[in-house]
Amino acid sequence: MFSYIVRRLLYTPLVVIGVLIVTFMLFRVVQGDVSAEYAGKNASAETIAEYRKELGFDKPLFINSEAASERGVLAVFDSQFFHHFKNAVTLDFGRARVSKQKVSSLLAEGAVPSLTLTVPMFLGTLITAVTISLFIALVRGSTLDTSVVVACVCGMSLPFLALIMFGQYFFAYKLEWFPVFGYEPGFAGAKYFVLPVLMGVFAGLGGDVRFYRTVMLDEINADYIRTAKAKGQNTPRILYRHLLKNAMIPIISKVVLAIPFLFLGSLLTERFFGIPGLGYLMVEAIGQRDFQIINAMTFVISVLFVLGNLATDVCYALVDPRVTLN
Amino acid sequence: MTAISAEPVVSTASAGRSLWYDAWLRFRRKKLAMVMLVIVVLYVIVGIGVASGWLAADWQDSVGESYAPPSWDTPFGTDIFGQSVFRKMIYGTKISLSVAFFASLLSIGIGVPLGAIAGYFRGYIDEIIVWLYSTLSSIPGLLLILAFAYALKGATLFGYKLDGITAVYLALGLTSWVGLCRLIRGEVIKHKNRDYVTAANAYGASKARIIFRHVIPNVTHLILIDFSLRFVAFIHAEVILSFLGLGAKGEPSWGVMIDDARLELSRGYWWQMAAATLAIFGISLALNIVGDALRDALDPKIRE
Amino acid sequence: MSDTPIIEIEDLAVSFPVPDAAGRGRRFNAVQGVNLSVYPAQTLAVVGESGSGKSVSAMSVLQLIPTPPGKYESGKIVWRGGVPGHTQEGTGVDLLTFDDKRMRAVRGNQIAMIFQEPMTSLNPVYTIGDQITEAVLLHQQVTRAEANQIAIAALSDVGIAAPASRLKEYPHQLSGGMRQRVMIAMALACQPTLLLADEPTTALDVTIQAQILELLRKLQNEKQMAVLLITHDLGVVAENVDTVAVMYAGRVLEYASVFDVFQNPMHPYTRGLLKSMPVLGREVDRLPTVMDGATIPEDFPAGFTVHPHTVDRNPPGGYGGPNSHLYEVAPNHWVLCEPTAENKDAKPAHPRLAFRRDAVAAV
Repeated sequence: MFSYIVRRLLYTPLVVIGVLIVTFMLFRVVQGDVSAEYAGKNASAETIAEYRKELGFDKPLFINSEAASERGVLAVFDSQFFHHFKNAVTLDFGRARVSKQKVSSLLAEGAVPSLTLTVPMFLGTLITAVTISLFIALVRGSTLDTSVVVACVCGMSLPFLALIMFGQYFFAYKLEWFPVFGYEPGFAGAKYFVLPVLMGVFAGLGGDVRFYRTVMLDEINADYIRTAKAKGQNTPRILYRHLLKNAMIPIISKVVLAIPFLFLGSLLTERFFGIPGLGYLMVEAIGQRDFQIINAMTFVISVLFVLGNLATDVCYALVDPRVTLN
Repeated sequence: MTAISAEPVVSTASAGRSLWYDAWLRFRRKKLAMVMLVIVVLYVIVGIGVASGWLAADWQDSVGESYAPPSWDTPFGTDIFGQSVFRKMIYGTKISLSVAFFASLLSIGIGVPLGAIAGYFRGYIDEIIVWLYSTLSSIPGLLLILAFAYALKGATLFGYKLDGITAVYLALGLTSWVGLCRLIRGEVIKHKNRDYVTAANAYGASKARIIFRHVIPNVTHLILIDFSLRFVAFIHAEVILSFLGLGAKGEPSWGVMIDDARLELSRGYWWQMAAATLAIFGISLALNIVGDALRDALDPKIRE
Repeated sequence: MSDTPIIEIEDLAVSFPVPDAAGRGRRFNAVQGVNLSVYPAQTLAVVGESGSGKSVSAMSVLQLIPTPPGKYESGKIVWRGGVPGHTQEGTGVDLLTFDDKRMRAVRGNQIAMIFQEPMTSLNPVYTIGDQITEAVLLHQQVTRAEANQIAIAALSDVGIAAPASRLKEYPHQLSGGMRQRVMIAMALACQPTLLLADEPTTALDVTIQAQILELLRKLQNEKQMAVLLITHDLGVVAENVDTVAVMYAGRVLEYASVFDVFQNPMHPYTRGLLKSMPVLGREVDRLPTVMDGATIPEDFPAGFTVHPHTVDRNPPGGYGGPNSHLYEVAPNHWVLCEPTAENKDAKPAHPRLAFRRDAVAAV
């Protein structure tokens, strides 16, 4: 177990380096120099050159042999590739194209609204889905079970985009049960979150119930459940004490892996309900063609994701005593 | 056994039948899945029809006034330009299915060989491929697709400037091979030590021959199952990419239709959204159910 | 020793759905017309191949068959061991009529069960102690500390050294034999009157097997416990049990004392089964299969016949024929057969046999 964690720890930087190579390839090599686009139409050569310098496209991609011959051997690293790494490690992702704010502070600001939306959304989906699937495990094979599965598949087949648009139109605009759009920090803003959270829970339920149902069915047919029954244990306690604790392993791994997505926010929901989170930032950046924000988001969220993966293994050990021995 | 049965023994054993035929028999038993399979085939026929120009080629024609509600002549009404929403919906089938098709093709083209090579040769080649897909899989799915689609859109690759929809094919294809590669790698490792591979080795078959003639056919069903379900993800991804302006331009797709409908909805013009949603829902539902049935039919070990 | 069976299974039938080629539901009786009885301090062996209905019969006693898909079609399971808060010892009640609440009072308390797979039958995320005390706390009015003492005593009863420290261990930390001992300790912690042992030694190696069986017999003698032992191992049967029920295709074919079954098997299937057993010191080219040996005996009691289908692998219309029942064809010897014309008034008989081998040995 310990050596496994150590190996995982050593692998983590390798994956982070991989992510940086991918983003470098995408935004520096494939996309190439966008200074002219940044400077806008009819910009002077000087303006373009200014942008080129600011965005770092004035340097060679990998090896700066020119600078090396002028300023010494170490200047060979004065290239886009190495600056890409350095900037990522120092969390310096430049300034936003339109607002000119620092990208890193935009990310930090967006995290709170995003989490305010995604944490209740996530917990709501998790608790509802686990409860439903526990219940379904009891009535497996019945008509109710089949109808729930069919409902799940139908739910998974609906495009999320259409769901949000319909929900916003019908419940907020038409019925006026909720505010259509808006954001306020603190508890006063809670009213703006109710509908988006409910929509998110509804949209996520189909896939989650199906997943947890499979988990629960795997466990409820296990021999130890029969043993517990043969002991004379009652059904609620068999579910709660025996089944759920064993089912915690797949549940926890799903939960931990979902945590980085919470930071990413909900791209479409935030956009539609005017919540200034990271999802909104991302959609805005795509519209404004601001590659630095997209680059920064990709890197930061991926690092969180990698760390989340690492945390999963630690959580396994806490729940499953078998892991400690191996 | 000395006793002889009075009647021929009715048995469900499958001696002499191929694995595929057997799976087909199991699949055919599921009425719902068969209906859904017909629906999938219908979508494919419509998609091919549009692509070859004998369906909805006249989608640009104005058939009436702006925002006419649904009627007999225009089943889903008209849009702002008076174009038939129904024809646009039909036309959108082409974009959606071509995205799913090309992305799958690319994904299989990358995932299967890489997985097979990693699993068969192991060693440092394996390490590199595993590192590559570990890296890609540590970037959350939608973000990865967005980053790829964003960077690829308008980029010039090998002297060819990518338009929106090609960028979508590439973005989805280049990001979705990971799961398949992992799957194939695992299966190849498992099959590598089976006797039939040892036997092929013994009569001097080349490594490539062993992988592609002996191992891959034994994992084809896994590829098929994987893709029946991944198709749905591709179709939904196209909708989101088109909505974000990273997808198709100048021709109708379901994502573009939903994007258009965003402003129409508040004015009560619901039909364009309804048409696109219905089209997406239909193919997704059909593929989801067919995928589940395929998995049950093809992978006996996970059947109950 | 008591002359009334502690439990009698009468004409039990349990069905499961079997989808046919067209995918339509058809129900199939996994067991049919099963009659068994066990007396206090007696061990009944239920012998048969996999799928012969042994486990289904035993699990039915505790209503452990999942319903759906399973269904109790007919029959009674008469229990005379008493039900807390319901009936006294000696009064017969039908366990199949019990609701979940009343059933729970019996499960693990008067009737305990141990399963074939000690590896998976223990919950991997709880300690041994947790799992044994769970059973104790469910059925006895004791504190947690007292329950721990009971668990320690149960563990030392089954021959586990340093039981107090074992309590804190998890199942994966124990060997297979140890786990089965834990299962037995868990089953015996509440001092059941009947123990259902579903192939308790199949997953274990031979030396451990012998230890576990010896342990069961010792505990049985101490506590006057009735045991229903499910096995397909004839060696185990020959050495450990009092009465034997041979099952095949969901029906009981033969029922007699262990000595009668081995010395005078009557049913063709039983004969085949015994012939297929390898004998130490006798060399053969090829062991006979059950069906090789399943010939109709010439010395079959007059007035009865074995339905021809009983020697057939896949008989149309089911195994044993529709009119076959258990008849007492010789004193204390029941066989699934049909009366012939000369004996058409013979009545099928529910097997009851209070025989215990130790009692014979004592005389």
